[in-house]
Amino acid sequence: MSDQSPTAKLRMMKLIRAFEEALAARPDHGFQLISSGEEAVAVGLCSSLAPQDQLLTGGRSIGPAIARGVDPSRLMAELLGRSSGTNKGKGGRGHIADPASGFFGAHAVVGGNISIAAGVALALQMSGKDAVAVILFGDGAFGAGALHETLNIAASMRLPLLFVCNNNQLSVSTPRSLALAPARLSDIGIAFGIPSQTVDGMDLDAVSKAISGALAHVRAKKGPAFVECISYRFASHSTTARETRSREELAEIRARCPIVKQSGKLKAAGALDDASEQDLDRSVAGAVEAALKFADASAMPREEEALQDVI
Amino acid sequence: MLYKISVPQVADVEEIRVLEWHREAGEAVEKGDLLVELETHKAIVEVRAGQKGILRKILAESGNWQAIGLPLAVLSESESDPVPEDAQALADLPVDFEIT
Amino acid sequence: MSSKPAAAMKKMFFREAIALAVREEMRDNPDILILGQDVGPFGGSYREFDGLFEEFGAERVRDMPVAEAAMVGVGVGAAAAGLRPLVSITYMDFMMLGFDPLINYGAKLRYKTGGQLTAPVVVKTTAGAKGQGVAHSQCIESWLMSVPGLRVVVPATPADAYGLMKTALRCDGPVVYVDHKRLFPVAGEVPVEGGAVPFGSAKICRPGTDLTITTHSFMVRTALEAAKLLEKDGLSAEVIDLRSLAPLDMKTIVDSVGRTGRLLTLEEGQITTGVGAEVVTRVIEHLGPIQFTRVGALPAPISSNRILEAACLPDAGRVATAARLLQSPKKLVSSY
Repeated sequence: MSDQSPTAKLRMMKLIRAFEEALAARPDHGFQLISSGEEAVAVGLCSSLAPQDQLLTGGRSIGPAIARGVDPSRLMAELLGRSSGTNKGKGGRGHIADPASGFFGAHAVVGGNISIAAGVALALQMSGKDAVAVILFGDGAFGAGALHETLNIAASMRLPLLFVCNNNQLSVSTPRSLALAPARLSDIGIAFGIPSQTVDGMDLDAVSKAISGALAHVRAKKGPAFVECISYRFASHSTTARETRSREELAEIRARCPIVKQSGKLKAAGALDDASEQDLDRSVAGAVEAALKFADASAMPREEEALQDVI
Repeated sequence: MLYKISVPQVADVEEIRVLEWHREAGEAVEKGDLLVELETHKAIVEVRAGQKGILRKILAESGNWQAIGLPLAVLSESESDPVPEDAQALADLPVDFEIT
Repeated sequence: MSSKPAAAMKKMFFREAIALAVREEMRDNPDILILGQDVGPFGGSYREFDGLFEEFGAERVRDMPVAEAAMVGVGVGAAAAGLRPLVSITYMDFMMLGFDPLINYGAKLRYKTGGQLTAPVVVKTTAGAKGQGVAHSQCIESWLMSVPGLRVVVPATPADAYGLMKTALRCDGPVVYVDHKRLFPVAGEVPVEGGAVPFGSAKICRPGTDLTITTHSFMVRTALEAAKLLEKDGLSAEVIDLRSLAPLDMKTIVDSVGRTGRLLTLEEGQITTGVGAEVVTRVIEHLGPIQFTRVGALPAPISSNRILEAACLPDAGRVATAARLLQSPKKLVSSY
């Protein structure tokens, strides 16, 4: 993300929302995990990263990929299975990768990318490059042994690794309070001597501030840091998962929209008005339309490609 | 009386590499003297004389390999005993060995 | 095409051959690093990394906590990001903990990213029973043969321990390198600064005419012992050391069975979905029906109990018995 102005960040959140809504509206949408409601986490995180940093995520990858600057057209093509996609149509949402853009990749195994990210951090550390690795995972991964083993190794080896836990408080149908013992997830950092904090994941500026502070620590070669963002997901876990919350609960959740919040904030500060917001919305719609058009004009992989890039 | 010094029956070892001889041919040795260090796949074995005598002929030099039970050197009680061609038939000299 | 000068041969222990290969490659390539338990000053559980910490330091030879899942993940991730890690897992039984990062990420990385990323990591591990009990004795390399994207190699001699390690550390994808507890006491000639052994190349270590024995790892020695016993009965066994399980060298195997007409597969692991099951199936696909039998461990966990362990593992006597049964024209049921 090159332009980090407040307006650019708002546009990015709107782009994620519009992109995912357009994708979900298609009959051929496939198995997708949508991050509506969690845009402030993705944008607050990615707007603080430097071009040489590498971001790894779990399966809810679309929002973070867009926020990191992956081309929406190639991303849409990948999500719709086209060979012009970022992964030649072979990865899909669960494995989106564009390391050239600093999006090292998504991995669909819950918690499966966490130790991988530590390996990436080790490589960055040994290269002497001024770059950090970031692993974004959900509360669903917090109970995984991989997280705890990796926290230990990262702290012990002082790896340049930022742990970002997007705690949207639900793992498919399981509320986090039922699955996870710590009162506050970021307290895990205390055990490993890693500086940690919990912030409001619906507040773009709060996320940006927390991430920037944590990154400064990591860039100063002081070891890893941990940021927990508390957020709400507006839709069910995936395009096939049943919704578990009531209509009333959902209405209350949607009233917390981070985009509406940020838009209101900018308008109150005089940095945005209705006309300029409409311009943003038009620009976003245009980008989404272009992405869909690109994907629809692209071919599916040929059968022979099933045996390419295996080994 | 002539004796042979054989590679000791170290557990879990098939063959050794001779690391270093600590006595030379012609030297008198006392009981307890360190004769040779042998290298196994795991550790170093110190072979010490179990009785006194004269080291007459080294059969496996430093860097050479030898299997468990096969001869490393010939030792005799007196320096005038003629050293045979084939040491395999000789009695084994008692040795103490220590794995370090 | 000019011929390379023959490399100087030097006799050394199995562990020294590994250390030599790793040292030569580490001198050549600064991206290689070792991750494992007791690999640093201790030099490796079998002294297979002796001297490397002293030469290359703590940056490149790193002692890790006992956390195989994360350790393999760190190795795989570091490989994906440009390094060439050698991850050492002392007991193959504990490789299972690392299966997720190795198999779900590492082996699939090139494919799932459409060729953008690959993970050139070597996971070295020691298999085999040697009195250490049910969870420290397994040979599970056959489980890994079917993973697309993964290479699996199994040296049985110091020369191949050296040669396969050199190739592994130059490979552009994940490699599982499986040695064996009972191979460490073995000494043999190694071509110093030469002899990288290619993957997918089996070796006829004893030519013969009456039957083909395909095997790997420590069982190669058992097969050679069995061949000596069979010789006394006037039976000539050809012993093939597979050296590489994925890819398998079917040309050498098919060629051999085409000549001998009989196949005995031998492994220390289980025969159910074992290495032998795959070899037999592929040979029959090539040659049509042949006489075959598979020999492996009894279908039981391998206890540390000396009597029970010996009862479960194949030995030269059992192999020779199975080979003699193979000579009869009667239809055979796979036997132990």
